[in-house]
Amino acid sequence: MELFANLAHGFAVALSPINLLMCLIGALVGTLVGVLPGIGTIATVAMLLPITFGLPPVGALIMLAGIYYGAQYGGSTTSILVNIPGEATSVVTALDGHQMARQGRAGPALAIAAIGSFFAGCVATVLIAVLGAPLTKLALAFGPAEYFSLMVLGLIFAVVLAKGSVLKAIAMIVFGLLLSMVGSDIETGASRMAFNIPELADGLGFATVAMGVFGFAEIIRNLDAGAEMSRDLVQQKITGLMPTRKDLTDSAPAIVRGTILGSILGILPGGGAVIASFAAYTLEKKIAKDPSRFGRGAIEGVASPESANNAAAQTSFIPLLTLGIPPNAVMALMVGAMTIHGIVPGPQVMVKQPDLVWGMIASMWIGNLMLIIINLPLVGIWVRLLRVPYRLMFPSIVIFCAIGIYSVNNAPVDVVLAGAFGLIGYWLIKHDFEPAPLLLGMVLGPLMEENLRRALLISRGDWSVFLSRPLSAVLLAIAAGLLVLAVLPTLRAKRDEVFVESEG
Amino acid sequence: MSDTPSEAPVKSILPKWVRGPQDFVGGLVMMAVALFALWASSDLQGMHGFSFGAGTAPRMFAVLLLLLGGAVALMGLLNDGPHIAAYSWRGPLFVSAAIVFFAVSIRPLGLVVTAFASFMIAALGSEETKWLETTIVGACLTLGCALLFPYVLGLPMPMFPRFLVQ
Repeated sequence: MELFANLAHGFAVALSPINLLMCLIGALVGTLVGVLPGIGTIATVAMLLPITFGLPPVGALIMLAGIYYGAQYGGSTTSILVNIPGEATSVVTALDGHQMARQGRAGPALAIAAIGSFFAGCVATVLIAVLGAPLTKLALAFGPAEYFSLMVLGLIFAVVLAKGSVLKAIAMIVFGLLLSMVGSDIETGASRMAFNIPELADGLGFATVAMGVFGFAEIIRNLDAGAEMSRDLVQQKITGLMPTRKDLTDSAPAIVRGTILGSILGILPGGGAVIASFAAYTLEKKIAKDPSRFGRGAIEGVASPESANNAAAQTSFIPLLTLGIPPNAVMALMVGAMTIHGIVPGPQVMVKQPDLVWGMIASMWIGNLMLIIINLPLVGIWVRLLRVPYRLMFPSIVIFCAIGIYSVNNAPVDVVLAGAFGLIGYWLIKHDFEPAPLLLGMVLGPLMEENLRRALLISRGDWSVFLSRPLSAVLLAIAAGLLVLAVLPTLRAKRDEVFVESEG
Repeated sequence: MSDTPSEAPVKSILPKWVRGPQDFVGGLVMMAVALFALWASSDLQGMHGFSFGAGTAPRMFAVLLLLLGGAVALMGLLNDGPHIAAYSWRGPLFVSAAIVFFAVSIRPLGLVVTAFASFMIAALGSEETKWLETTIVGACLTLGCALLFPYVLGLPMPMFPRFLVQ
């Protein structure tokens, strides 16, 4: 019953005119960004952080959340219509979605993607509401050792599921951890690796690094390929949005499977929407009676990954709200947003800030409803946006990013640092290092150090504490198991296969 | 001078026995980063008793990165791997120049001048830029930013060059 009372409270907060407006703006901006290729969710949230400074905390977070799940929607639209995934999460949607569009079934593909996302959004919203309270209680049983082990597990997850070499992914995580050490030591206040540069005394800003390796590096890389990307636009008019009865019966089970898979992967730290959509697509292909249909316009290939990425995008709020651990880079930026408004994410938030938590949860459902209503009629506008040539778009993105970073601290040095990280990111891409684990390492670094220190202080320097506490031991055992699985040749081959297919 | 990376693979300066230059160099650079971090954190206090000093965690991570970088380099040495992809100079140069110009001039010159000039510098990063079109879009964008950030969003930001305002 408490659940309903909480949800009712949340809806009361989310339905206030100002919050509704924030939700709408967030969802629209998110869709816009999702549609535009070459600028990812992380860079957008980082870029738009300053915009939310002047807003009340609840409104600010509702808007940021809207941007996040809105981008999942927008990404699917361009995947289907133009075969350019606007977001990494929609890469697999392009495989069958675009084929459907070529067969003149763009309407049903878009509709199924929207319906699937909406269904997944509804389920995920309920899931957050249901799991929130018990997980918060669990969080209270967590000591520093458990927190540390959980974060290790999250990082290992990120490694196992990252693309390419396991070794390089771990190296990137450690590089991120190392970067997070720059600045003042939390306990002693000693300045670490800051070289007496006053701007580094507080550490490298997370938004700065994110904007560098995801914003600037991406632009520079795109310029390599020539600014004019080929755009295989589906020219025919989109008619008949409604899917047929057969489409619906075919895709309903796929939507349910995608939602379940996505919800689970979203909760796990290190997981996230990208992995969820890949995993869902692979699952559909595995269990299909006729796998050869995939890649030729199978509606399940659209329904399942789209449901999965949306479910994961939302359930990834669970570890943030209950444990205070950001499971991915976007959530880390949300932590930044919360901190700016003086809210410390963690188990206390649920109790101390019910307006914020339940309002945000309720707004996600409302936001999903808004998206399904506004998105289908707006498809034409989004497609027209794609005709804006990249040669005009990239300088604009550079300027927006620069203004965004500058306004976080009003510090010109931050802009230069972001530029430097852009070049570092470009180098990393050239050497096939994934930047995402780096960012996750950077986010979790300070939390890991703090909990490691505390755990060892409590155990009086005894490292076995991580294995003698049952919960911590279980988490570490899972992490070790995953790592072993990841390096086993058979699984690796399969894993690579998934990624190769998706790139084809 | 061409800056398209699709040219024939660059002649490798590395000896023949390096079978995967991309990973080999990547690993070496990671090791260099780790060594630099070890040097940079060498003045910090280490463990005292069983409690961490300020330098413990950085050094721990640096050693870990050193080992991992070494492993990546070793893999690059022993396994066949891709060559180092060619870098282009134009995009990175002008985008960086635009960013640095922005950082240097936002305070003294204000948003209007800075945003427009940075836009034009960044636009140099592509060969396909058409100047008339770029100028118009740049002007519109500058106007939009000048209205959006200080007025709509209320972010404190200098608008015009300091010497004009005074």
